[in-house]
Amino acid sequence: MHQKSQSRMGRALTPLLWIGPAVILIAVVVIWPVVVMIQSSFQKISRFGIVQGANGLDNYTKLFEEPDFGGVMFRSLIWVVAVVTLTVVLSLALAQLFNQKFPLRNVARWALIAPWAASVLMTAIIFKWMLDPEAGLINMLRVDLGLLDALGGPEADPLGQASTAMPWLVFVAVFVSLPFTTYALLAGLATIPSDIYEAAKMDGAKKWRVYWSITLPLLRPALTVAALINVMNVFNNFPIIWAMTHGQPGYSTATSTIFMYILKGSDIGESAAMSVVNFGMVVVLTGLFLKVSRWNTEVAR
Amino acid sequence: MNIKLVTSATLGVAAALVLSSCGSGGGSSTQSDGKPADGGTVTLKMVAADYGGGPTAEDSGAKFWKTVTDEFTAANPTIKVDVQVINWNDIDEQVATMVQNGQFPDILQTGDYSGFVKEGLLHKVDEVLSPATQSDLLPKFAEFGKVDGAAYGIPFVSSARALFYNKQLFSKAGITEPPKTWDEVKAAAEKLKKSGVAQPFGLPLGAEEAQGESFLWFMGNGGGYKDASGNWAINSPQNIETFKFLKELHDAGLTTPNPGTKDRKDVWQDFGAGKVGMAFGGPMSIPQFEKAGLTDFGVAPIPGKSAVLDTTLGVQDWIMAFNKNNRADAIKKFFDFFYTGTAAQKISDTYKLLPVTTSGIQKLSSDEKLKPFLDALPKATFYPFTDPKWTEVSNEAKQSIGSAITKDAAEVLGRLQKVATGS
Repeated sequence: MHQKSQSRMGRALTPLLWIGPAVILIAVVVIWPVVVMIQSSFQKISRFGIVQGANGLDNYTKLFEEPDFGGVMFRSLIWVVAVVTLTVVLSLALAQLFNQKFPLRNVARWALIAPWAASVLMTAIIFKWMLDPEAGLINMLRVDLGLLDALGGPEADPLGQASTAMPWLVFVAVFVSLPFTTYALLAGLATIPSDIYEAAKMDGAKKWRVYWSITLPLLRPALTVAALINVMNVFNNFPIIWAMTHGQPGYSTATSTIFMYILKGSDIGESAAMSVVNFGMVVVLTGLFLKVSRWNTEVAR
Repeated sequence: MNIKLVTSATLGVAAALVLSSCGSGGGSSTQSDGKPADGGTVTLKMVAADYGGGPTAEDSGAKFWKTVTDEFTAANPTIKVDVQVINWNDIDEQVATMVQNGQFPDILQTGDYSGFVKEGLLHKVDEVLSPATQSDLLPKFAEFGKVDGAAYGIPFVSSARALFYNKQLFSKAGITEPPKTWDEVKAAAEKLKKSGVAQPFGLPLGAEEAQGESFLWFMGNGGGYKDASGNWAINSPQNIETFKFLKELHDAGLTTPNPGTKDRKDVWQDFGAGKVGMAFGGPMSIPQFEKAGLTDFGVAPIPGKSAVLDTTLGVQDWIMAFNKNNRADAIKKFFDFFYTGTAAQKISDTYKLLPVTTSGIQKLSSDEKLKPFLDALPKATFYPFTDPKWTEVSNEAKQSIGSAITKDAAEVLGRLQKVATGS
């Protein structure tokens, strides 16, 4: 009897041994920083990180009273929606293309990886150079094509104004997000059994009908994961905007991540408050997204 | 079998993470007793800004400091100096991170010292500099190294600003003299524009140097960051009027396009490439312009609203010693070596920076191109950097003052004033 209960307890503890490392990892790498971040947002902290005491809700009031706060949050939302939507739509088309058999398909697939393999910061800086008003390659092309009268003027400086800079920033963000998304969708396409397509063919289904009723629903798990990772990635994206516009002019191209970083230069507490808001925003966005895409409902059953 | 392997690997990684995260907290405690380790050798850790053209350039800061520290160690075999050179855009951020993590350098050479004083992190100058060297420092500069009467910052190098103009473009546009007043600036810019110059006046109000460029224009109208009695006056009528003038210049297409997004280094590059008619610059821009192939340029005083300025913006950089590692004696030897030997002279020669010692100024007085700057230096005006709010104001100015060109100037400057006077 006694021995039996001991072995039962041992059996109950075994799983703990298995999940222990993972739990420790999550506690140290995920939970602890979140706790410190939230804690910092209620403290008064000097520019050099020395805590000067509790600050109540002052960091948050100061943050919400920043004249640019509303604009920055709104812009972040538009930024995420625009980049992720464009990325997913383009990737669906690209994945379909790369799933076909054509000569040199492997070469084309390798080429698709390039923007992913290059560092994002590097890509952003290269685009900034290509858009340089005096010597940018893209501007030179525009002059040659007759789309632009001359180099050097304000028309040759798309990154100088928010209205023309934002589309370029979105373009670069889509450019660097495409490879991962396309590959995730390609992997999803590979899991769809070919006999379903054959059955549809025998039933005389048209191409669009097949795509809409078979491919897309069966692609949903891959699509959901790809889009979700993009949502978080794009929301937290820093190097593209920082390298290309620095959030300028003023704060007119800054997203909340950029804003948080700029605040860190003068008030770490306020910057931490911005981080908490950011964190909350990602959690809410993710939740909304999972709800909309009905994450847990099984497909094709 | 396999699973076991994976688990132990995971455990190992997790343990390593835990250990390393604990380790980073206590980085400051090494050698706090101040006694030299391993047989009497002390290694000083120094962080310095790069005055050269980056890590691969011939004049890189790393190479400069290597020769200085090698010479020093040859003369003082028990003291080594490890220098980490960081570029200007990143140094504030990286040093702040070091301090936040408790990894203090022994010596720091950068643009500001005042932020560290309040935290009690710095040695007083008396503790790390001999009286003879102290008395050679220009008194006006040394005075700015004091906080509440006690000196903490040691002037390192200085520079001043003046108007650079491209003589070839000027003569092509039929301009005989550099402009002295704002009206003349505008007239000259219009002539340059007519002769086909895309950027008559280089106006970099982007993140790199907006606080300095704006200050030069403010001074031209009798304005500035603070008024005569030392109170913040960023949204003074003079400053607002200044930006109205700049807006006029910009709207007429006479400046760099979208000035609020342009860095000074880009405008200087364009000037060196012969695409800019005139721009503010310093002695350190002379070698850059020459390297880009432009030698036919002139240097003139800064134009003001009704006459040229009798002052200019003086900028001085600082060197300072952190007290956390208690190595004052070794630091003192290194500082005295630097100021009394050839090193201080060499840094002025290499980077065209102005010296901060009486003896250094005398040695340079024969250099023709530096003369306008050396003349302006004694009357220079400085940033209000001893004010604890200055860093915050400067950061905010770098980000947003340029938008006063396109937005309402009173609103943008009013906001900066709020940053300066708020809690």
